[in-house]
Amino acid sequence: MTTDVVIRTHALVKDYGRTRALAGLDLEVRRGEIFGFIGPNGAGKSTTIRVLLDLLRPTAGRAEVLGQDPRAGGAALRARIGYLPGELALKGRQTAGSLLQTLARLRGGAGAKRIRPLAERFGLDLERPIRGLSKGNKQKVGVVQAFMHEPELLILDEPTSGLDPLLQREFLELVLEARARGATVFMSSHVLSEVEDVAARVGIIRQGQMVDVDDVATLRHHAGQLITLTFAEPVGPEAFAALPAVENLSLEGCTLRCLLHGEPDALLKAAARHHVVAWSAENRELEDLFLDYYRVPPEELDSAAEEASAHAR
Amino acid sequence: MLADRLPVLSSLLRERRRSLVLWAIALAAINATYVAFWPAMGAGEEMQALVENMPEGLVQALGYDAIGTPTGYLESTVFGLLAPALLLVFAIGAGARLLAGEEEDGTLELELAHPIARRRVVAERLGTLVVTVVALVAVTTAVVLALVAAVDMDVAASAIVATAAGLLLLVLGFGLVAFGLGALTGRHGVALGVAGGLAVLAYVTDALAALVDWGRWLEAFSPFSWYLGPDPLTTGWHAGSLAALAAISVVAALVALVAFDRRDVGV
Repeated sequence: MTTDVVIRTHALVKDYGRTRALAGLDLEVRRGEIFGFIGPNGAGKSTTIRVLLDLLRPTAGRAEVLGQDPRAGGAALRARIGYLPGELALKGRQTAGSLLQTLARLRGGAGAKRIRPLAERFGLDLERPIRGLSKGNKQKVGVVQAFMHEPELLILDEPTSGLDPLLQREFLELVLEARARGATVFMSSHVLSEVEDVAARVGIIRQGQMVDVDDVATLRHHAGQLITLTFAEPVGPEAFAALPAVENLSLEGCTLRCLLHGEPDALLKAAARHHVVAWSAENRELEDLFLDYYRVPPEELDSAAEEASAHAR
Repeated sequence: MLADRLPVLSSLLRERRRSLVLWAIALAAINATYVAFWPAMGAGEEMQALVENMPEGLVQALGYDAIGTPTGYLESTVFGLLAPALLLVFAIGAGARLLAGEEEDGTLELELAHPIARRRVVAERLGTLVVTVVALVAVTTAVVLALVAAVDMDVAASAIVATAAGLLLLVLGFGLVAFGLGALTGRHGVALGVAGGLAVLAYVTDALAALVDWGRWLEAFSPFSWYLGPDPLTTGWHAGSLAALAAISVVAALVALVAFDRRDVGV
């Protein structure tokens, strides 16, 4: 079955006893894209991913991977996926190489030939026993097993955790190569900076719901600018408080600080009535945008998201 | 190649071969020692005197009333106590660890994310338990057979094999109960604790049955009684009790196969 959507969830709900981990999650990942799945720890990222791999069964709603229900798709579906768990647990006396060979055998031998070159690329010693490996080295084993059979879909849960910066870059290179051969990559992180360089689109999950899905460029626009204006003498807040596109206004003596989304025109015209001695406008990091999302209670967030998408149009 | 056809089982066996060898050596050594002491202990007069001085109830509960006979000695030491106790520790420990233990420590997740059906994972892990338990019971039996012949004990080899068959099914049954409980709950502690508790309960029930008037009725509830109740070291094969013991394994295995397929993993 050919489809342009590789991962689709609709109103996905997952309860653990009384705890609701996913509260109606809607997600769409398109063929051939790198999709960043961002949210704080405990937001439901790993739960979503584990539903996609049929490790968990949804309480309600639907999930579809490569056009199939994860449970119905079974082993044949998982043959087309490479998965890197978020909490990779590896144990045992056997060597890294022997474990990777065993995993390749579970795939009917697929990927066995790529174990050695991938291990060399990441500086992983295949002769060392698993239980003696550091967290970073175990993560390398995880990366190798996820990529070795060149799957058409890669599902990577917090893939760069435990890798040093140099290897993180090597890893992102590997992700880009996978996309270049036509694979789709779905990767989660609790920090945007880990995915923003490679991901074209990003989805933000909070308390088991998607609160925003956008391309990275649009998100950057939403992040806005931090404005600082210094006046010759103290000014009152009245003239600035009600301005469009201005948020988080603060006045300390002669200094005004605010967050600007959109055009600066109204703010500049209001400021021009006073004597401005200094000004600065700083593009906010995308990271700050996410902190906004995480701070706001869910009810307010819905209206904020609508507003944001209205801005985008 | 076995590794290609049964990748999970062969990998588990490779991983566990060292501990398996150590278990085999320990079982062989301990059981061999007891059989080797027969000429000095069971057949000697000191043992008889010791037993006569023990309270009668204790003698019956321990099954020492026949310790002066070759079959009684073998039952009181090897088949009634040491072999089942050690093998149950192994089987229950392995049964709990092979599914629930590895699920709890997270190592099972990667395997299940691979293109292998869950039932297949359960079946190969269950197979690992069966293979290792069969191997250890076989080693124990072979050592006992050899030493019984060496010290010239008057016990039929076929009766020893019949008893060993019961021992295998008893131990496998409790190992699979631990495995099945792990498949059902995903909790290593529950699998270990409940299966271990049931094994102890079965042993105590069997010992109690020897003491009380309504013991016959109690024996129906203890797999330990199904195993040694018909006195297989003297009377040989008993298809009925072996079938009852085997039923434990069959039911536990079916529960494991069905239950694990239906639930969330690693919650």
